[in-house]
Amino acid sequence: MRRLALSVLLLLLLSGCGGQMSPDEAQESIQVLAMDTAMLITTYGERSPAAAYACEDTIRDLEKQLSRTDPDSEVSRLNAAGGEAVEVGEDLYILLHEAACLSAETRGAFDVTVAPVVSAWGFTEDSFRVPSQAELDGLLKLVDYNAVYDRYLPTADPRAAAIGPGQAIDLGGVAKGYAADKIVKVLQEHEVPRANINLGGNVLAYGDRPDGTPWRVGIQDPARVDEQNAFAGVLALTDSFAVTSGGYQRYFEQDGKTYHHIIDPATGYPADSGLTSVTVVAPALEGFLNGTMCDAYSTALFVMGEEQALDFWRDRSAGVFELVLVTEDGRVVVTEGLADRFTLDESSGYTLEVASR
Amino acid sequence: MRPFPKLRPTAWDGLVALCVAALALGIAFFQWRGGTSEALTAVVSVDGTEVDRLDLEHWEEPRAYTNNGYTLTLSWIRHNDAENGVWVAESDCPTQDCVRTGAIFRPGQSIVCLPARIIIRLEGGTPDPDAVDAVLG
Repeated sequence: MRRLALSVLLLLLLSGCGGQMSPDEAQESIQVLAMDTAMLITTYGERSPAAAYACEDTIRDLEKQLSRTDPDSEVSRLNAAGGEAVEVGEDLYILLHEAACLSAETRGAFDVTVAPVVSAWGFTEDSFRVPSQAELDGLLKLVDYNAVYDRYLPTADPRAAAIGPGQAIDLGGVAKGYAADKIVKVLQEHEVPRANINLGGNVLAYGDRPDGTPWRVGIQDPARVDEQNAFAGVLALTDSFAVTSGGYQRYFEQDGKTYHHIIDPATGYPADSGLTSVTVVAPALEGFLNGTMCDAYSTALFVMGEEQALDFWRDRSAGVFELVLVTEDGRVVVTEGLADRFTLDESSGYTLEVASR
Repeated sequence: MRPFPKLRPTAWDGLVALCVAALALGIAFFQWRGGTSEALTAVVSVDGTEVDRLDLEHWEEPRAYTNNGYTLTLSWIRHNDAENGVWVAESDCPTQDCVRTGAIFRPGQSIVCLPARIIIRLEGGTPDPDAVDAVLG
């Protein structure tokens, strides 16, 4: 009898070794439709379910404040205020200031006030059309980030903001990046050891993979958008934000011509810079707005083109951000800080170049 | 004080030990297989709620899903006489991104129709060791 009891105990111990999951392997994966995109949130650790749903709450809360199509959002109220100052929440206050600074830093290649022009092309409501030059000329007069900047800073009330009369802002170019910034704090609060957060192409690679290797993040090949798993290359990332902007992501065709959604604020037309995609990578640090920066830079540098984009990168300190540029003439240009973390997909046919400072 | 009796293992002890080890190995194998042997399944979510699970080994008839005023038709496809997959054969949504996505065959891949707020995601199947964890773009 004693022998039998010992055998059962031994059996339970041995079988238990195979089935017990370490807290580090526990994971939760949820899909979220928000901010006009599909998001996939995967968190690890003992508190992974609570962390994943807290991430979703953060995104939903931001969407409620920042949506341009929701008439009750703070952004809609600001756009409808006719130039008057309105009271706003902390997130819009911070993000508007950051967006204005990023607009100034990129000399308007990213411009938070380009919204009326984007709407004229139908990209806001998915009712695509080619606006006339006269219409664009009229709308371009409203595109001026300085009006936001000037009217914002002198405000006495710390929670009030204003834009110029007739102007409209669209924070779609930075909202997902800002959400990723806030999610870093959520993950830290929930003591999440690792997470893979994909906010519709804005990726936060938090920690490393369960096997201890970096997260593998593929960059969609702009020339093969109809194929899944068709990459220009793969990045190996830990504790990083990565954001890609490309004309292939949203576009329409009219009279045999393709028009994409990244509008050059200087011309009012889709940017034609010789690049097919721009990926910006920066460290994920709590307390910084690097996710927001990556989001804005990816748009701005796509508008600038290869030469100006690389000059912009060289003008900043090493380690602030790195780039992967895919060009129309079949090259992939990687800045030197990413060279050992990028693997070209040989089947893409691109040639690889490394840009140095 | 009474001394401990001398214990000598018998053939019966050896047999019991072998049985325990074999059973433990069997349970471990069963648990390990349980995590990876699930059939490749297309999970359809509408407005964030799962509405359908399609086992790609046994499903072949197209199915239509309607939401937010748009209808898309999901079809089964076989690739290289080996891989089962799904694709959106038809949609009346304005962007047509779901149709342009083409067919998906591997776990983790998904098709998204934002206007209809429908996501089709593949789960189960055999994990691909070369698969990426996330896609930019």
